[in-house]
Amino acid sequence: MLKSMSVVREAIADDEADDAMAERVAAGQAKEQVETGRRVLPIVEGVVLVAALFAPLVLQDYLTVFATRVIILALFALSFDLVWGYAGIMSFGQALFFGSAGYGVALLARDLDITNIFLVLPAGTIIGLTFALLLGGFLLLGRHPSSVIFVSLGTLTGSYAADRLARGWYYLGGQNGIPSIAPMTIGGYEFLEGPPFYYLVLGILVVVYLLCRFLVRSQFGLALAGLRENEQRIAFFGYKAQHLKAIIFAIGGAIAGLAGSLYAFHEGFVWPNMVGVVVSTQVVLYVLFGGSGTLIGAVIGTVIVEGVSFWLSDNYRDIWPIILGLLLLLVILFRPLGLISLVSGERERVGSFGAAAKETEKEKRNAAP
Amino acid sequence: MANAFAAAFEILSFGAIIVLIVLGLGIIASMMGIFNFAQGEFVLLGAYITYLAYAKGLPIWAGMVAAPFVVGALGFVLEALIIRRFYAAPIVAMLGTYALGLIIREVVRGLIGGFYLTVPEPIGGSIDIGTIHISAWRFTIIIITLLVMAGCYLLLSRTSFGLRMRATLENPSLARASGISTPLMYGATFAFGSALAGLAGALIVPVFSLYADLGLRFLIQGFVAVMVGGVGSFIGPVAGAGVIGTLSAALPWVMAPVVADILVFVLAIVFIKFRPQGLIAGRGV
Repeated sequence: MLKSMSVVREAIADDEADDAMAERVAAGQAKEQVETGRRVLPIVEGVVLVAALFAPLVLQDYLTVFATRVIILALFALSFDLVWGYAGIMSFGQALFFGSAGYGVALLARDLDITNIFLVLPAGTIIGLTFALLLGGFLLLGRHPSSVIFVSLGTLTGSYAADRLARGWYYLGGQNGIPSIAPMTIGGYEFLEGPPFYYLVLGILVVVYLLCRFLVRSQFGLALAGLRENEQRIAFFGYKAQHLKAIIFAIGGAIAGLAGSLYAFHEGFVWPNMVGVVVSTQVVLYVLFGGSGTLIGAVIGTVIVEGVSFWLSDNYRDIWPIILGLLLLLVILFRPLGLISLVSGERERVGSFGAAAKETEKEKRNAAP
Repeated sequence: MANAFAAAFEILSFGAIIVLIVLGLGIIASMMGIFNFAQGEFVLLGAYITYLAYAKGLPIWAGMVAAPFVVGALGFVLEALIIRRFYAAPIVAMLGTYALGLIIREVVRGLIGGFYLTVPEPIGGSIDIGTIHISAWRFTIIIITLLVMAGCYLLLSRTSFGLRMRATLENPSLARASGISTPLMYGATFAFGSALAGLAGALIVPVFSLYADLGLRFLIQGFVAVMVGGVGSFIGPVAGAGVIGTLSAALPWVMAPVVADILVFVLAIVFIKFRPQGLIAGRGV
């Protein structure tokens, strides 16, 4: 399986070999609808959206609160998916941007009494963006391209160091974090937990999702997919691979920051784990589970992991993390593209986006010197 | 004077602990190109086995001797079942070993509950030199670390097993052509690295006590040490571990511990950025 995958991947990078690739994929994964060219992901996206729209109507109150949290985490997962699933940058420290934005808005609310939604959300986004620009710029740019290992360990270390800082710094509340953050406001209205907050978050998720969808289907997104599959070839095409990576890393950081500020206001408190390794690896789990490299995969992965863990944690709290580890191992070994690959083919994931795909590829060929 | 000596001993013993933990990590990373996220949990398992022996009323020494063998055997089995599939893809290997580590950690957490369990030092008391008292057990750890380091070095550089191991890792196809069973060598290397982690866990448990996140605490420090030292040789990670261990033990004496903690990581990452090959470049022993 793995071997046939790598064969397929090589073929993908070779844009002449499209048909050969389709044949190989079809041979390897006969069940999938690659041959017919039917596109499954838009249907999945539609189903998920409809389900999300009607969820608060059927869910009890406490479940709506839970669903809101899941949607915020899905937004966070989206940021990691852009970075890892599309650009192939292993960011083990995505929580650094999530958590620092959370801390940032918590401080705004605590010390400056700023809770206006039009101020705090942009502030959180900018905090995430700034940290991602700094860290990403340092790790990714430079005379020598950094190795994947260095980037992944660098982000991991960054997140770990931030965790230690948050734990040790009295101003940030130390071990306890910052409790009882005032609710987010718009004019005189306060966003408390419940359906309005849910729909606000869902709206933000949909907007960000559409922006990401536009982004990954653009020239830029196609170049990123190429980067993930074969960085060297993209570099030979004349793209500045390092710059592309730094840009997507910064965008991912901004989205994580947005999610982090929403999370801080929704939960009403921030604590050191939020910037640390625990949350960083959690988001990796979501995306791997759902299927990296498809936007909807990240969302579905978050919903499934959080949903199952919520459901199991009543009766099987102790063994749930063990089950999670086992499932993750199985997914990595046997379904490296995540659960979404059960319904959609490799071809749909990689980059023949829409009917205009052929033209786009030609454009790309012309655009490159 | 006495204070300075005590500080120096403290720094030295912490450095030795880090070196001990990084040895296994470094051998697996250098020789196999895999950053094993489950290494921290191998340390934890070693500690747990020692605790188990103690709780069952066996001498602690017995647990400490058993730990590396049990963890090594487990490493061998895991390599054959799972790790083997990851060699082509280092990032997937990280995620896969992370999942493995998660499973081991949570199983141990389930076994010990959320407690901090203490294991007494097999050699208690202190060694008195004039007016200075140093912990006898920490001193023993330093001695054992030195012995293990020398042993590993000799094993890799002087024995035929070490030669075959290095041959396999440097050029697998040529090694196979020369009649070396490469899958067996990979398994043996991984088992060896795991056994070292088990030993480290067994030795440090009296100092740090046993809790489920024991391994996690050292994992990131270990990775950073390996990168600082340089991947690809035996001596590189050891040197890196010495530097990182010494720095993280020494800096809190001169500045606020929080700042020191973070400064070590920042310095290390900046160093690796500008010298990606690490302190000691080059391959081999």
